[in-house]
Amino acid sequence: MGMGLGLGMGLGMGLTDTCGSGVAAAQAAAPRILLVIPCFNEEASIGGVLSEIAATGCHYHTLVVDDGSSDATSEVASCRSPVARLAQNLGIGGAVQTGIKYAARQNFDFCVQIDGDGQHDPRAVETLLNAYRKQPANITIGSRFIEHEGFCSTRMRRAGIRLIVLALNSLFSGGRITDPTSGMRLLDRSAIAFFAKVYPTDFPEPISLAWAMRAGLTVSEVPVEMRARETGVSSIDGLKSASYMVRVLGYILLARLVRPR
Amino acid sequence: MTNVIPSPETVVVISAFALIYMLVLLKKTLQGKFDLYDFLMLSMVAIIPAGFTLFPRLAYLVSHLTGVAFPFVVMFGALFLVVFAFMHNMTARLHRLERQNCALIQEQSLLALELKAKESSEPGG
Repeated sequence: MGMGLGLGMGLGMGLTDTCGSGVAAAQAAAPRILLVIPCFNEEASIGGVLSEIAATGCHYHTLVVDDGSSDATSEVASCRSPVARLAQNLGIGGAVQTGIKYAARQNFDFCVQIDGDGQHDPRAVETLLNAYRKQPANITIGSRFIEHEGFCSTRMRRAGIRLIVLALNSLFSGGRITDPTSGMRLLDRSAIAFFAKVYPTDFPEPISLAWAMRAGLTVSEVPVEMRARETGVSSIDGLKSASYMVRVLGYILLARLVRPR
Repeated sequence: MTNVIPSPETVVVISAFALIYMLVLLKKTLQGKFDLYDFLMLSMVAIIPAGFTLFPRLAYLVSHLTGVAFPFVVMFGALFLVVFAFMHNMTARLHRLERQNCALIQEQSLLALELKAKESSEPGG
């Protein structure tokens, strides 16, 4: 693909083993996995995230999407990974879709979203892949709420998430969801192709699930542990939470009525 | 109810407003600040009141046909209709531009990335 820069640019060791060393024949048959890392002013944490990915010893390709940062995020990240620099801040949806479009064009087998703020443990990617192996679904979500371990967000937010879960599970078939706002998710080729065409810009995690299930894609979950963010603050706080809930529920209902184009 | 015909002063004031406003719109359209659709829709603010003032009998006929007592109310109804149609189309256009803008920014970043990769893979690059 010509992007032989940065972390783990070699091929993986097959769907059963993407980590560690292995023979060339196994590498040739291995799936190509892209970790998309959307970032906005994450100069303090992105280096650590990339180091953690390298420390997994797995042969993942990485793409940092710098969503118009005003700090040195790109400079820090470009030492270890290819970086797509967006000329303007598009928001998390626009940044993630950039990575998904890249995955579609470079013919990756899987695409995994990892947050640049250090909330996601890169070792959990292997957990997502194992879950895919056992029960292939177009989207495999790393859920905080199956085993309730690690950082599970505030009580208010969890209540809101429950409402979204209720809406998604009652309006759509295609999988039972417990953590629709989790950013850690594995997409297979069908999901990559779908989201490269359409991806919500506002509140992308829950709405993208509604769109995907409306289009007939399947969703499964696997428990993962998440951490509190290392730097920065959430953009959804206070009164914005109520507005977030109303709008997300509205979008989900709309997705039930109209297929996204 | 007796039909009230607008006074000559009213006709002069409304006509003058319509003329000046249309000239301003025309100038901005010629400067490329508005397109023809914007010109047409915005000029309704001048055309509708002028039509009701210059052709009062027509105004009463329209209000009679619509079952509204006062032509004044019909005039505002017509203006609101134009404004809503304009806003509807403008919202759709803005949304389309927003999506195109987003896609362009994504394309630009991905092309820059591809270019950088090509340059680094070329001998001596």
